[in-house]
Amino acid sequence: MTLSDFALVRPADVESAVAARRDHPQSRYVAGGTDLLVNMRHGIDGAAQLIDLSGIEELTCVKATLAGLRIGAGVKLGALARLPLIAERYRAVGEAATAVAGPGHRALGTVGGNLCLDTRCVYYNQSEWWRQANGYCLKHRGDICHVAPQGQRCHAAFTGDLAPALLALGAEVEIVGAAGRRRCPLAELYVEDGRAHLALAPDELVATVLLPPDPAPSAYGKVRVRGAIDYPLAGVAVALSVADGVAQRLRIALTGTNSRPIVLAGTDALIGRPVDEKALHEIERLVQKQVQPMRTTVASAQYRRLAAAGLARRLVASLAAS
Amino acid sequence: MSGQARGGRRIPLIDGIEKVTGRARYTADLERADALVGRILRSPASHGEIVRLDVSRARALEGVHAVVTGDDCRHTYGVLPVAMNEYPLARERVRYRGEPIAAVAAVDEKTAERALALIELEIRELPAYYTAEAARAPGAVLLHDNKAGNLEREVHHVFGDVEAGFAAADLVRETRISCAEVNHAQIEPHACLAEFDPLAGRLTMQTVSQVGYYLHLMLARCLEMDTAQIRMIKPFVGGGFGARVEALNFEIVTALLARAAGARVMMRLTREETFLTHRARPHTDLKLKLGLTRGGRITACQLEAVQRGGAYAGYGIVTILYAGALLQGLYDIPAIRYDGYRVYANLPPCGAMRGHGGVNTRHAFECLLDRMARELGLDPFAVRRGNLLQAPTRTLNDLTVNSYGLAECLDKVERASGWRERHGKLPPGKGLGMACSHYVSGAAKPIHWTGEPHAVVNLRVDFDGGITALTGAADIGQGSSTMVAIAVAETLGVGLDRIRVIAGDSALTPKDNGAYSSRITFMVGNAAIDAARRLRSVLVEAAARKLEARPEDVECIGEEFRVGASGQAGIPFAEAVKAALVDHGPVTVSGSFTCPPDAQGGKHRGGAVGSTMGFSYAAQVVEVSVDEATGLVTVDKVWVALDCGHAINALAVEGQVEGSVWMGMGQALCEETRYIEGLPLHASLLEYRVPTIAESPPIEVHLVESHDPNGPFGAKEASEGALAGFPPALANAIANAIGIDIDELPLTPDRVMEAIVERRRRERLEARRAS
Repeated sequence: MTLSDFALVRPADVESAVAARRDHPQSRYVAGGTDLLVNMRHGIDGAAQLIDLSGIEELTCVKATLAGLRIGAGVKLGALARLPLIAERYRAVGEAATAVAGPGHRALGTVGGNLCLDTRCVYYNQSEWWRQANGYCLKHRGDICHVAPQGQRCHAAFTGDLAPALLALGAEVEIVGAAGRRRCPLAELYVEDGRAHLALAPDELVATVLLPPDPAPSAYGKVRVRGAIDYPLAGVAVALSVADGVAQRLRIALTGTNSRPIVLAGTDALIGRPVDEKALHEIERLVQKQVQPMRTTVASAQYRRLAAAGLARRLVASLAAS
Repeated sequence: MSGQARGGRRIPLIDGIEKVTGRARYTADLERADALVGRILRSPASHGEIVRLDVSRARALEGVHAVVTGDDCRHTYGVLPVAMNEYPLARERVRYRGEPIAAVAAVDEKTAERALALIELEIRELPAYYTAEAARAPGAVLLHDNKAGNLEREVHHVFGDVEAGFAAADLVRETRISCAEVNHAQIEPHACLAEFDPLAGRLTMQTVSQVGYYLHLMLARCLEMDTAQIRMIKPFVGGGFGARVEALNFEIVTALLARAAGARVMMRLTREETFLTHRARPHTDLKLKLGLTRGGRITACQLEAVQRGGAYAGYGIVTILYAGALLQGLYDIPAIRYDGYRVYANLPPCGAMRGHGGVNTRHAFECLLDRMARELGLDPFAVRRGNLLQAPTRTLNDLTVNSYGLAECLDKVERASGWRERHGKLPPGKGLGMACSHYVSGAAKPIHWTGEPHAVVNLRVDFDGGITALTGAADIGQGSSTMVAIAVAETLGVGLDRIRVIAGDSALTPKDNGAYSSRITFMVGNAAIDAARRLRSVLVEAAARKLEARPEDVECIGEEFRVGASGQAGIPFAEAVKAALVDHGPVTVSGSFTCPPDAQGGKHRGGAVGSTMGFSYAAQVVEVSVDEATGLVTVDKVWVALDCGHAINALAVEGQVEGSVWMGMGQALCEETRYIEGLPLHASLLEYRVPTIAESPPIEVHLVESHDPNGPFGAKEASEGALAGFPPALANAIANAIGIDIDELPLTPDRVMEAIVERRRRERLEARRAS
């Protein structure tokens, strides 16, 4: 369907953007628009005013300091992947950025947009005609979740590629709202609820991502049917350092399997141990136990579970061997 | 014969520059400043009776110029004269989600959408069926009252002594294979621009059609107009693959709107609506049984095919007949039984798609043949070689095979792929597979049988010395206009730049049966050569008079008419034209081609389907890597050889072969339609997974030229034959890589993973039993 009418404002700084959002409850932030505009064309997220963040200088800065790396939320995914420092020190982030959709999307899509990507579901990412014919769903205009009709929550899956890479590396985010600035671990940005998966007040936006200066070596992998365009059926990021034959630091994060990106629990038990067959098997088991894929994609939930585990195992093994 | 096309020519398509520079205007690009916008209200229900349809509020909305419903057209339409059971806008009953019910024409898109929202619709739902099995179950409500058991057509064909064949076999195996429904996914979404002149009572339709002639007939029928009052024009078309062979509902609906509004109406369907219009390859369940001797000779073949055809007849009868007929014509099989069932279901109607009817049959056949060869310890190439035909011959079902280059295709891909050295010796997770395939070079008996020639091309030449070729053949990207230009230029002995092709305008170009069944090169190519020969005699006669020679001694080479090898100075082309014009005025000649009756298939019911003047033949080898951790299959390389008779334009032929291999790869790897209670899950290019360039392997194309005695310059079709071989070659390669045979298409990572998990489970069980 055609886009609904909306006004477009282009604030020059974050504070004006936040003020515009606060003053206009029917407004939405937009940066690359690669997610939002598709939904708007489907009759979802109809906003009377769009606040274009692309002209805000603060959001496009990348700065390396002793405290680590600051990445503006407005940095384009393609540009992020091309930063030498990313390739050298934060490999998972570069691999995740490069794995997003296609070159066109990466030229427009931003770091903040990918972190705040709407959750996805086969019952939700459809036209207005489709959703109406299906009686809508819990995530938008309806009152049941077709994925789990007995349940009370929306199971739409988070499918951003960047989040697991940043989580594995221990990233924090700086959030700006009408109430001021706050800083929190990235994991705290997310909630396990497909309908409201972001812990942001309506006027808040993610302004900056902060990465620690001395991350463990990392990698990101993604399972999808095609080698481009597709969202992850499961995505896995691993940060692992090995010394004297034993794991020193290990963190694993996943996307595509839950309504939020998750950090794998229980990996501490593997610290100080060799990354052998037993450890790899344990990682597979941890992943299989903790991910909660639901019928939100055409591919089966069981496949996503197995593929996530297989991928985690492979990434850990290859980092341990490198 | 002079005008023998030189082999190996590589000529860029004559309309290529317009396309790559973006200058080409497709239907949706046509000037539409003064056109109304058309929009369609589609059924939200899978099956039901229309209890109430009130369009009065929509009609009253300011800016709305017309609203049409099923009341505005009481005629059915359809591609097969014997099976027209579909209304352009539903009347009384809807049979699939997405079926058009009403349409509006308004000043702009927003008004049209608002008007749709004002239409009041009430449907009393009926039970709906989404699988062939459910639709065929006893007691199922009939989608069409005259079609018992929800069967559109049953086919039961027996050729030869099947029982004796199986009795003579050393190994008999039966398998069930199912192939998911796929869609053409042509890049250009459907669109048309209809203009009705209320004063003259004339309709002009510009649309994406592959067969303007069929649509012309259907518009006349549905709008109760004289065909003389309708003009069909084909702009640039961005792909067809069979999607646009039939007249489509939105085209008739737009014409109805244009007439009701007395105006121009532009209809541009969304991608979702384009998918809902469908008309593609049906979900097919196949049960195949083969008999082989120890040496690999096929003794008998028995196939049952069940196609879930969707809610209306469409092309269904032809598809279910092709699925049986194309068991033949590739190998020498002494006995064949075929049982086909075309079933109705509450889903968008299926239709023709590249490789029409033969692809899923070929997949099952080549997979089972491979598995049995393995069991017998035979090489896959050797088994195929043991069952070759000898041309010229006639198949059991009376199809003519006059040229047959399959043996050479096999040799070429076996050598190129290093099969003998590498098969079975690749590292774990890597494998090689192969398969053969074929396809018709045009249906020798057209659907609308009129007794007219199968193809006509007109040529005209005037004072300017330019030659205009007029053809109704629709160039939809396959390069048919380029083929016509080359055929004419070669036959006349003139440069390609002297030829201008005008294609697909019913007011100018001769009727053509259109771009389907790979008929254009064979039929239109022959008609173009015939026309060029006629023009040549007119020009040669005029030149002979000027040269004071006998016409039989005059030839035209390099745009110069001269007397044989006399050494006498010739006259340039333009001068010959001037001389001819003195006699005749501007010259128009007409050339034609007709398939002889003995090529038009057997006398049995349905025998015309599969009949053709010549089959193309293909063999291909696929190399894969299979990732057991994720189930992902990577196609590393493809070697393919196609017997196209003669490559009139090697560049275009290679492009078509790559395209068909690639489309076969889509169906094999990742393309499928999925529905949730009749709602499509695949109706976007995100969810309908056409391979991207990231999955596209190097495709090494080899051409084989068997010089068909009837083909234009010896040519046959080139754009469908290689498709059907890819899916089985891939499945066979996966089996070679990881030792697992998978009975489903597409071979998506979840299906591969499931098979791997199942194998591990089995292995664990066996290990436990052994210990």
